[in-house]
Formats: sequence, structure tokens, C-alpha cells
Amino acid sequence: MALEKHINILDYTLQSLLRRKFKNIGIIMVFTLVIFTVSSIIFLSYSLRQEAHLLLKNSPEIVVQKMRAGRHELISTWLMTEIRGIPGVSDVEPRYWGYYYDSGVKANYTILGIGASGLENNKVVSGRMPSPHEKNVAAIGRGIADVRVIKKDLGSILYLQAADNKWMNFNIVGIFESDSGIMTADLIVISKEDFKALVSMPDDTATDLAVHVSNEAEIPTVARKIKEQFPDSRPILRDEIIRTYDAVFGWRSGLIITLFMGALIAFIILAWDKATGLSAEEKQEIGILKAIGWETSDVLEMKFWEGLVISLTSFMCGIILAYIHIFFMGASLLAPALKGWSVIYPEFRLAPFIDFYQIAILMSLTVVPYIASTIIPSWKASITDPDIVMRG
Amino acid sequence: MIKTENVTKYFNRGNPDEVLAVNDVSIEVKEGDFAVFKGPSGSGKTTLLSLIGCMSRPTSGRVIVEDRDVSRLPERFMTEVRRNTFGFIFQQFHLIKGISVCDNVMLPVLPTDIKPSKLRKSAVRILENLGMSGRIDFPVQKLSGGEQQRTAIARALINNPDIILADEPTAHLDTHLSEEFLSIMRNLQQQGKTIVIATHDPLVYDKDYVSLIIEMRDGRVREIIRN
Amino acid sequence: MRRSTMFFVFTAINLVIMALLYIQSHISLSEHHILRKDIKEIVKTLHLTDMVLATDARYTRNPTQADLFSAFQDYPGSIEHFPTGSVIPPPDMDSMGKLIEIKTDGP
Repeated sequence: MALEKHINILDYTLQSLLRRKFKNIGIIMVFTLVIFTVSSIIFLSYSLRQEAHLLLKNSPEIVVQKMRAGRHELISTWLMTEIRGIPGVSDVEPRYWGYYYDSGVKANYTILGIGASGLENNKVVSGRMPSPHEKNVAAIGRGIADVRVIKKDLGSILYLQAADNKWMNFNIVGIFESDSGIMTADLIVISKEDFKALVSMPDDTATDLAVHVSNEAEIPTVARKIKEQFPDSRPILRDEIIRTYDAVFGWRSGLIITLFMGALIAFIILAWDKATGLSAEEKQEIGILKAIGWETSDVLEMKFWEGLVISLTSFMCGIILAYIHIFFMGASLLAPALKGWSVIYPEFRLAPFIDFYQIAILMSLTVVPYIASTIIPSWKASITDPDIVMRG
Repeated sequence: MIKTENVTKYFNRGNPDEVLAVNDVSIEVKEGDFAVFKGPSGSGKTTLLSLIGCMSRPTSGRVIVEDRDVSRLPERFMTEVRRNTFGFIFQQFHLIKGISVCDNVMLPVLPTDIKPSKLRKSAVRILENLGMSGRIDFPVQKLSGGEQQRTAIARALINNPDIILADEPTAHLDTHLSEEFLSIMRNLQQQGKTIVIATHDPLVYDKDYVSLIIEMRDGRVREIIRN
Repeated sequence: MRRSTMFFVFTAINLVIMALLYIQSHISLSEHHILRKDIKEIVKTLHLTDMVLATDARYTRNPTQADLFSAFQDYPGSIEHFPTGSVIPPPDMDSMGKLIEIKTDGP
């Protein structure tokens, strides 16, 4: 069979690689680490991006904020009637939200005041939601429940300091379980009245307005009309929200640059070292092989196998390890970088979305150049006359 | 069998370090010859050997091997001639370190479509004939000088060549091993192979079975003696 | 066994593992909590706009929403603020702006 020749050459290549065991295992380990790191980042950012896409599709179509002198301000609720009058708008609801810094555990919470309860039959909410006018009850994210010094659960009391320096207490009637952590880990949901009391928000104002537009295509038109009618407003489109997350998780993001520069440079040095010259020993080996009857193409084929064996092995191991790292071990090595100084963060159980396009690009950016950098210097050595071994 | 016609070989032509290694050499080696290229180092005998062995091309002149002008053949065909016609034995043996004796012997014929089991069989047979049966799967770097020499001979014989070329084969051997080497060569000659040895060792060229002595000096042929 | 056979077997094992992981990803996706209606319902009901990824500062909690504490409040996603900005680049403002114009400039 005509394949026998190639398999013979592969046999010899593998034997050759084993002769320089430590050097080659070293290269494979560094190479695997590079692939592992890059593909971990690819897996993580793509998965987060897909999750953002899926979840934020349910965000309000337009959020209208009020600006004064370029700064965000509370918006008057009377605007709601005006905006409802714009053709295409199906509903406008006020949003009441803000942040609360808990110096006890040095954590930021997001506080949400709701006007309507909903979520009665929601399976990731234990207990219930506060009803619109109910005082002193709250539903909190599992992240908050866990981060408190004395762990909170249903029935515990949560104390928050109000703007007028009084402490308000809230009976915890609901908990957002950790399955929804990516959206709810740091939430405290209370009734709209309680929220207004807590932050001393004037009547007839809201943090911003959620505008619902039933026809997807009309969203930009509605946004433009809002902007025309109320020049001091700022409509934020859902598309923009999703795109912001695209950018945040873009795989060219600073995450890669900061985390990965070191390993990348090390690898480039390695590849450069290989590409810029063969050792005298390797050159002599090529000379001997040619002198005893190997063709140039046989020598190049050997070098091709050498590059392929190393890069393919590293690539496959790196990808497999990265998958295990991200989707089985919750990105344990990368998560600290994402969490930053955060005290509250969701449990990472990422959805294993795989972007084959990026994996293919990664493959073509690593395996192919590596093979090339193995072959090209040998090519020069293998086209010279083999009598060099007799004179050398 | 082998003929050179006015062969000249320059190295680094046109550069300040230009060397005229072989200068207008015309010789003929007949089939079944035991030929010796004799001369001090730098006389051009190794270069002449590599020209005959299709390892390099002459700057001018023609090299004819088995009625075929090989001096202008494309690379691929030169390799083919080299692989099918010649067996090489180098001064430094040039074995590949780190692999076994048998693997070294099989090396020249690896890039062919022959099954490795078959290659191994013929390699083992040659090694046994050379008295190396106890060393077949031994790593070459642990062999003695004589055993390395015999491994190199076995490697030169694996493709069953008509012509065996040896460059200073006795340079690293003591008298006893040199004699042994020569008797192996003599044996091969009696089996019908043509032997060409480049050497300045009198032990080699004083043998009475040497049929052709070509003495070289400064790239030129000084004397041709046919016994 | 020949070394080449060992290499092919090793490669095949790797490919099989990759195939199994791929199947695993599909199974795991199909029952992943992120796809549950309940979470989407929460997002919809509470009008949530951001993921809880970085709660370390108020301006990183809701990168798409401006608030009084933002360093730059000009646009959703204008989140440049050290050290966050060195990790999360600002989004491409140009394409964001254009999206609105293209759709409204029609007949």
C-alpha cells in the first residue's frame, strides 16, 4: 500500500521525538498551556456572551433616563403619559432601583422597588415576592443571603439604614435561588413604598422608565421620538445593552491581553527560537538522511509530522482541559479575574456554548504556524547538497 | 561503470574563500574494481568521492554512472541514483544517536513502501552476516568503534548497492579493526560489488587485491596505477 | 505496537473525548438553568438590564445603565474607570449610534 512509506516516516519521526524526550515534552507542555489558556478564555467569554444574549432579550425594549447637565437624575413619572402617547409604545412602567453599600461585609447590593409583584409560580424563587404596598418585607438574592455574617434565610430580618439615618427592618419572605444568580445574586427586592422611604425619593419620580414596544422594528423610531420630545432624556435600547455585553466579553478584550500576555510572549519566543535556526545536530541529521538516500520531500515530510505531532497533541489536550476547566470546574482559574474586588458574585455554572469558529481560528493560529516554523528552517537545510556531512 | 570527464569542482565560487577542490579530473572505475583514491588531506579525494556518489554536482565536466550522465540530473533523480546504486560509509560513521543498531541500518530504505517487518528482516540478516547478531537492538551510542563501523557497513548494504563508497574508513580504527574492515570489503568485492575507498592509509592501498589506485594531490590526478 | 499506531490511537482517543464533550455540552445545555423560563421571567418582571458579574463598584454592577456614580455618564457602556477599564474595553460607539440612524432614515 502506498501509505506505508508515510507511516514509516512517521514512525521514525516519533522515534526521533522520543530521543529528545525532555525538550519535546517541555514544548508540548508550554504549547498545551497556551492553548488551554486561550481556549479557556474563548469558552468563558463566549458562554457568558451567549447567556447575556439569551437573558437580556427579556430586558425592557427601551429604558428612558433623565439627564440634567449631563448627569443622570430621577425622572418625573408624568412623562409616562406622554411617552404612552407615542405610536408603537405598548406600555411604560417606572423602575425604582439603586445601590446600597453594606459596610459590614463591604458589599454592594442592588435594591429594587417593585410596584407589582408577579413571579408567583417561579421555581427559582423560594417563598414569595413582596406585594406592591406591603411594608417591611423583602426578597433577596442567594448571594446576599450567603455573604452576610449571620447567614440569612427565609424568615430572617435584614436591616438597612435609610437616608434619614433610621434603620429599617425587612422580613425576608423570598429568596432568589442560585440558579438565577447570574441575574439576581445581589438583589434586594422591596416594595416601591419602602424603596422610596429608604432613599427619600420624592413622589412622582422614578429612577428611570421602562418602555415596552411590541414591534421590534419600531424600537429605534420610538427612541428617536422620545429623544426629540424630551431632549433631556436618554433612551437606552435593548440592542445597545446586548451589544455592551458583546463588547464586555469580546474575545479580544483586555482579559486576554492582561492575563495572557506572559504566556503568549513565552510561546512566541519558543516558536521564534525554533524558526530561526536548527541546531547543528539537527542539521547533521538532515545531511545524513539525505546522504543515505532520503529525498528532500522525505525530510520535509518528517519535519511536517514532527510539527503536527507536537501541535496537534498540544491542541487537543489544551482544548479538552479548557473545556473541563470552564464547564466542569466553574472556570476556577479565571473566575477570580472576573470577580475582581467583588464580595458578591454568582456561582459560575456556565452554559457550555461552544464557538467552533473561534476554535477553528485558534487552531489555524497555532497549529499551522507551528508546523510552518518546524518545516521552513529544515527546508533550507534539506535542499543543500548532502556532501556537507562528508566535509563537516 | 563510473567515469568522470574533465570534472572540476569549486566551493564558494566567486567568494574570497573560493576553493578549487577538484581540477579537471578524468578517471574510470570498472565494475568489480577495488579502487582506492589515495592522497593527503585536502587533495580532493573526498570531494571526488561525493561527486561520484551523487552527493554534489561538478562545477564543470561530466560524471557518468552506469552509462548515465548524473551530473545534470534533477535533484529527485540524483537521490534515486544515490539510493539505488551506492552504499556510503563515512569517516565519522554518521550513525543517528539514540536509536538502535537495527533502526539505523533500516534508515536508508524507510521512505519506501516496504513493510517495516520486511525491512527489519533484511537488516537483521545483514547484521548477522557481519557478526552483529548480539547487538541488533542495542543503542548505537553504546557500541564500540568496530561495532559502529560494522553498523555503518550494514547500513550501506541495506539497499543492496552495486557500488560501495567509503571515505577514510580506517581513520578511527586500530590496525586489527582496519584489517577486519578490509576483509569485509574484499568479501563484498568477491560477491561482485564495486568498492571505492578514499584514504591515505597505506594499510589500505598496499593490499594486493586493490585493483586500481588513483593518487591525487591538490585536486589533480597525479598517478593512476592499475594492478 | 508500532509508534505510529500508538500515535493514531492517542489521536483517536482525544477525538473521541472531544466528541463526548461535544455531546455532553448539548445534553448539559438542554437542561441548563439558564434556559429556564423562570429566569427569563424574573428578568422580564423586574426589568433587569445587567448581569451580576462585577459588584465591586457601583459603576461596574450595571455597565449598561448610567447612574450618579458613573465616571463617564454619556452612554450605556461608557464604563471607563480604572481598573475596570483596563480589563473591559468600552464598546464600539460608532456602530451603536448608526443602528438608530439607519433604521430611521428610511422613507
